[in-house]
Amino acid sequence: MGCVIIGAGAAGMQAALACRKNWPDSQVTVVDSEPEVGYYRTLIPQFINRALTEDRLFFWQQKQDRELDVRAGVSVDAVDRANRTLFLSDNQRLPYRRLIIASGGQPIVPPICRTPAVRGIFPVRNLTVARRARTWLRTNPDTVILGGGLVGVKLAAHLAEFNYPVTLIERERQLLPQALSAEAAGVVAAHLQDKGVRLFLAATVDDLQISGGLLEAVRVDARWIPCRTLFVAAGSLPDLDFLAGSGLVTEGRLEVTTSLQTGDSAIFAAGDVATIVDGDRFTPWTWPQAVVQGKLAAANLYAGAPLSLPRLTRVNAMNLNGLSLAILGLPACGYDRTVHADSGSTIYRELFHRDGRIVGGVLIGDISSAGRLHHMMTGGAVSLAEMEEYIIPRRKAMTAASLSLGKYRKKATWLGPGGG
Amino acid sequence: MKVIAVYPDRCTGCKTCELYCAAERGSNSKSLLKAVREEPSPMPRVRVEGTNELSVALQCRQCRQAPCLDSCLTGALRRDDQSGIVVVQENRCIGCWTCTLFCPYGVIYPWPERKIALKCDRCLYMEIPVCVDVCPTQALELVDLAEYDTVLQAKRASVLETIRRAGDRQGALILE
Repeated sequence: MGCVIIGAGAAGMQAALACRKNWPDSQVTVVDSEPEVGYYRTLIPQFINRALTEDRLFFWQQKQDRELDVRAGVSVDAVDRANRTLFLSDNQRLPYRRLIIASGGQPIVPPICRTPAVRGIFPVRNLTVARRARTWLRTNPDTVILGGGLVGVKLAAHLAEFNYPVTLIERERQLLPQALSAEAAGVVAAHLQDKGVRLFLAATVDDLQISGGLLEAVRVDARWIPCRTLFVAAGSLPDLDFLAGSGLVTEGRLEVTTSLQTGDSAIFAAGDVATIVDGDRFTPWTWPQAVVQGKLAAANLYAGAPLSLPRLTRVNAMNLNGLSLAILGLPACGYDRTVHADSGSTIYRELFHRDGRIVGGVLIGDISSAGRLHHMMTGGAVSLAEMEEYIIPRRKAMTAASLSLGKYRKKATWLGPGGG
Repeated sequence: MKVIAVYPDRCTGCKTCELYCAAERGSNSKSLLKAVREEPSPMPRVRVEGTNELSVALQCRQCRQAPCLDSCLTGALRRDDQSGIVVVQENRCIGCWTCTLFCPYGVIYPWPERKIALKCDRCLYMEIPVCVDVCPTQALELVDLAEYDTVLQAKRASVLETIRRAGDRQGALILE
């Protein structure tokens, strides 16, 4: 009887590997409802558009550690805290001494899309569905993506890169409403449209046209858009169903301390499933946080003095078909804003701050100094002058000149201190 | 484990390290004159920051708890077991730039033309890193962390000396 981990996503798998390393005497069992584990979920868009082959997705395989007991394709039905036992879907019971819940999220599928008999509708979350979608897209390239959040935007950009006809639909008035300000989202929207993505904002799919079990079109704003493929990327909710009656869930949240401990001293939680209570409630929904949390939960399992998470940020970066995007944190109302925008280009950089503390922002088009700004955000107060220095892209701070090099003439640049 | 030590007091900001790093590690021709004509322009993995009053050449610190390693979405960043150096496996890097965001020193660089992230690997398979080799003022040095203990010991000895100099004065001693 040792440590049991529910979920083998980023947090769960990192927790399992860290457990094996930190507590070599403890037996580790991982339970996951998916048939395959140990892959990079963030690469699913590049897998669907065939930019990446399947073997590039996996970061862990069973042969790397035969001692690690991974039960793939098995889900947890219930948790019996009194007897420290899990009830599994294969009718087995699994006792634990310590439990890490890292079951991740479940994609939100709007009721209109819940028609199992129809082919061509794919929630974007796991590899099994992604594999089906990949094959399906070959003969059905006309695509509609429902949801303009991080997953939807990323998928749209990657499909457009391979010339799939893509329509992106977002319920709010802007793309990435939970990550960007309206101005920043406008830059992303313009870039996507430039790449051939059709955008519908403040709109949603309200009807489907189905013929012979196949999707034929979707209705958006009273207009029918022909499509054979519909990706649902309308966000996720923590996967907590199996914890019903366990007493761990309050108002739909699995709350943990900054040491990732739940109300039960033997149970920890990490990744998308956990809500960290540190004054505010915080769920990061990012891969790097899931990795860090998985490792920390494992380190704290049997530790006398548990460690706290070093930082709570929702930092994310991606490359959207040529447009670099580094999100430092959510747009915050009532905070001061420092902006650098180049008219006529895709460069847009903004910071939200108050009393010298950076609380969020985004770098689009040119992400230079991203590391420094992230570090300033997690560190102490900084002066406005310093923020203004770093908000200027480093390439902007170069002085162009013409250098004579014998018969070769080349435009040379110098990096000048704070130049403009 | 060997790391590159940086001495800001010796740095003149001449950027020789940047030039040679780009030519030796980033170019096809491996020669300075030919490298400046290459497209895309070779990128250095070390950058000199600062002004004439104070400048410093900075490259990856090979952190023992590297935030970039935790943030990598594709497993492209990996720590070499033998040397402890964090390397980018270019065939796995997809250019999402997440690591550049997580590096507290800002020393992982996006290289959009090649769609990969670029960082110092301490010239892992060379006898001596090229920046260390070419620095005219020895502002960069290759040091073994194990040997670094002797430097720390010298510092501790200076503490002892300060205490001795303070003599028999009573009360708290504040070291500067």
